[in-house]
Amino acid sequence: MSDTVSITCTVNGEPVAADVPASTTLADFIREACGLTGTKIACGHAVCGACTIHLDGVPVASCSAYAFEADGSEIRTVEGLEDADGELDPVQAAFADLSAFQCGYCTSGMIMLARALLDRDPNPSGETIRKWLSSNICRCTGYEMIVEAVARAAEAANPGTMR
Amino acid sequence: MNESARLEVVGRPARRKDAREKVRGKAGYTTDISLPGMLHAKALRSAIAHARLVGIDASAARELPGVHAVLTGDGIGDDIAPTYGYFIKDQPIVALDKVRYEGDTVAAVAAETEAIADAALRLIKVEYEELPPVASIEDALSDGAAELFEEAPMGIVPAYGTGASAELRPRPNVCYRFNYETGSPDVFETCDHVFEDTFHFSRMQHFHLEPFAAVAQWLDGDRIEVSTSCQNPFALRKELGRVFKLPENSISVRVPFVGGGYGSKNNCKAEPIAILLARMTGRPVRFALTHDENFLTNTQHAAVLKLKTGVMNDGTLVARDSEIFLDSGAYSDASPLVAEKAGYRIPGPYRYRHIRTSCDCVMTNTAPAGPFRGFGGTQTSWACESQMDMIADRLGMDPLEFRMKNLIDLGEPFVPGESGMDSDLRAGLELVAREIGYHDRKKNPVPNRGVGLALGFKDGGGVNKPAQARIKVSTFGDIFLHCGTVEIGQGAHSALSAVVAEILGAPAGRVRYMPINTDHTPYDQGTNASSAISVMGQAVERAARSLRAQVLDFAADRLGAEPQDLDLEDWHIRKGNEALPLAPMIMGHFGGTGWEFTADGFHKAETDHSAPLETQCVFWELGWGAADIEVDPDTGLITVHKLVVSGDAGQAINPLVCRGQDEGAAIMGLGQALFEEMVYDGTRLMNGDAFAYRVPMAQDLPAEFVSITQEQGHGPGPFGAKGMGEGGMLPVAPAIANALFDATGVRVAALPLSPPRVKAALAKNS
Ligand code: FES
Ligand code: FES
Repeated sequence: MSDTVSITCTVNGEPVAADVPASTTLADFIREACGLTGTKIACGHAVCGACTIHLDGVPVASCSAYAFEADGSEIRTVEGLEDADGELDPVQAAFADLSAFQCGYCTSGMIMLARALLDRDPNPSGETIRKWLSSNICRCTGYEMIVEAVARAAEAANPGTMR
Repeated sequence: MNESARLEVVGRPARRKDAREKVRGKAGYTTDISLPGMLHAKALRSAIAHARLVGIDASAARELPGVHAVLTGDGIGDDIAPTYGYFIKDQPIVALDKVRYEGDTVAAVAAETEAIADAALRLIKVEYEELPPVASIEDALSDGAAELFEEAPMGIVPAYGTGASAELRPRPNVCYRFNYETGSPDVFETCDHVFEDTFHFSRMQHFHLEPFAAVAQWLDGDRIEVSTSCQNPFALRKELGRVFKLPENSISVRVPFVGGGYGSKNNCKAEPIAILLARMTGRPVRFALTHDENFLTNTQHAAVLKLKTGVMNDGTLVARDSEIFLDSGAYSDASPLVAEKAGYRIPGPYRYRHIRTSCDCVMTNTAPAGPFRGFGGTQTSWACESQMDMIADRLGMDPLEFRMKNLIDLGEPFVPGESGMDSDLRAGLELVAREIGYHDRKKNPVPNRGVGLALGFKDGGGVNKPAQARIKVSTFGDIFLHCGTVEIGQGAHSALSAVVAEILGAPAGRVRYMPINTDHTPYDQGTNASSAISVMGQAVERAARSLRAQVLDFAADRLGAEPQDLDLEDWHIRKGNEALPLAPMIMGHFGGTGWEFTADGFHKAETDHSAPLETQCVFWELGWGAADIEVDPDTGLITVHKLVVSGDAGQAINPLVCRGQDEGAAIMGLGQALFEEMVYDGTRLMNGDAFAYRVPMAQDLPAEFVSITQEQGHGPGPFGAKGMGEGGMLPVAPAIANALFDATGVRVAALPLSPPRVKAALAKNS
């Protein structure tokens, strides 16, 4: 069928090949074709960031990208953060330890956003953290505890180097 | 030794029980459910605010490949009660004879995919006969206004106690009026001053990130199984039983994790349509609204509040007469309950000799308003706390001193017949005043910079709210906690499990909070009114104490000892210096397959006719707030330099969770104060999506944001705990408005305090 596209990519390091309708969003591809429901869809308009994943290392609002845009790419979702033994990524551990979540619906997106920040800037200032986090919405926490968790994650990865 | 000095689990900043699932993307929400053969539903929404339905032609939609069913009002038979609501059954599952707001549900489609369902909606032709729209409270109450309901829908008024009453439809376009009165109005004549002021309150949308969603199927053709993003599964089950004319044991409601609600997810939302379409198609149906549709489904109440307050020269409050009008939107939803609470809370936590209030639920052709964090208390705290500062100014008194003079004492009833105040209100106010630098604020005055205080107030724990919990412990000490409190983000799973662990002497990790399914879960009235710890917590505490007693009695029998000489410690019996494992004792008595100890706990406030709302308030929820702000007179932009909020947890079960509740609520209040608002042009919502509707982001955090969890220890919950979660929202807007007055001498009595409104107010004054 002409309105179907074939997609080959890796998702959390695993090769994936699938045929999906051309209009499939990347978020639906991840949630339905790959069965990874940790990625959430909220606003659907590239505003809230609940659907944030990494596409070749770049944080992307997957609700507002097409699945075909990921052809040939590496996708990383929240499910791909922990290591093979189930050891949490420092960002996940800090969110858990500092209660940087409530309902949890924004949490996957927030964690992926924070991970992308720390991949680029392992020692972000509080100012930088706030700026980065301002691309996602959390309606529950009031943000302060999320900002603290990201700082804690940076600190945990680079002890003693906090700005 | 007092009990809190030896708490092992309670009071520690532990990881929440749901932490690992939530940070790993493994927590299951309704929107994640996928069943074999499941269809997807979408709803057609009215583009007209007020019209009679003349006809619907859905034939083309029905023929679209992939469409399995189209539901319209004329397809609903006598086997279904077609409307639902809390006190008043006025909201149709799909429009029957009229549409009443832009966004009203006209029809629904079940199809193979959401995309096909959406395509089918575009093929449905609807013929309307337009009616005059009613856009606002003022419109609705004007002479000759069109009526949303020409006849009164079926409804009830609950029993009220001393001084309180209510009436259905006291006048056209008002679906409910709540009244409360105590003391004689004659005292107004003795007052040195009587001040009358009017306040306007704008409406927000809850903006929960998980949309309204339900997945329904019919089992054996006559039983409903529905998983839903819902705060009150038992109330929902009762309503579904009425709508679908089924016994309640034929309806099983399951609630996984809920992705935020803030009040909106009480009662029927996506469920009736999902269930009806599932019946029509014989397939499971998932109905998840879009985030844009949330804006059209439930909102906060906009309000007009008129306060008349009598006071003496020395600042003693004497009397408060209030008239409140809530914009209820097109359907009653929870409006009668919100009216009851707004009408009851408008005096604030102060002492008067006379109080009279009325609160009207006014119907307009806008989205239905419902429960919203604060539940009428946000509206009343806005008006009451703004007027407190206005009166202080008129009397030439300091606003803090004026409040201190009139605050209710610890233990003093709020009104006759009520329970006593369970927080030291003055201590909390002094705490935030110090933290914001209130006493030094005049030392180095900075132009356009000011400080304001406010004390948000509501009765917490709900009215006449029963709750039951069940605990089972297996042979090896694995603990099952069954209770109906929904994990909506507030941390209830962790808090209630911690209470059980504490009482049973077990590590918190031994307790599993079992999934909620109304077939097995003991009854709970709903996860609302900050009631999880204050009401369900008491049921859980009783269940745990009863289970502990059973186990100690059992062990005492086996050991030939007295129960009071034994202690329970990590599923061992501590007897003097010995720690004896329970498992062998249990298998020795009950046989090798073992046994489960089971205990129930129940709580309900006593029915009490002398209490105005028929039960005394469970606990008083306070939010002390203070703001240090600066306003740019050229633009009207307010910058909050420092925001302080404080709640009283009584005893924090988990301090991290308490902090999160206060901070989340406070930042929601900050949005309400400064910019957040559903903007209507007539009956049309102009900013009904995440692009246009602005909520607070991390960049909106004040430079300094301090939250202080007090633990005053007077709560009714386990170990002295009180409820939390709403209080932090209540004081923020009035504290900022009071700070604006302190900075400029200009009073703004309408929300939000947006730059254009503030700029206009400043210009008018100069
Ligand atoms: S759901 Fe993708 S940005 Fe909101
Ligand atoms: S935790 Fe609920 S939206 Fe962030």
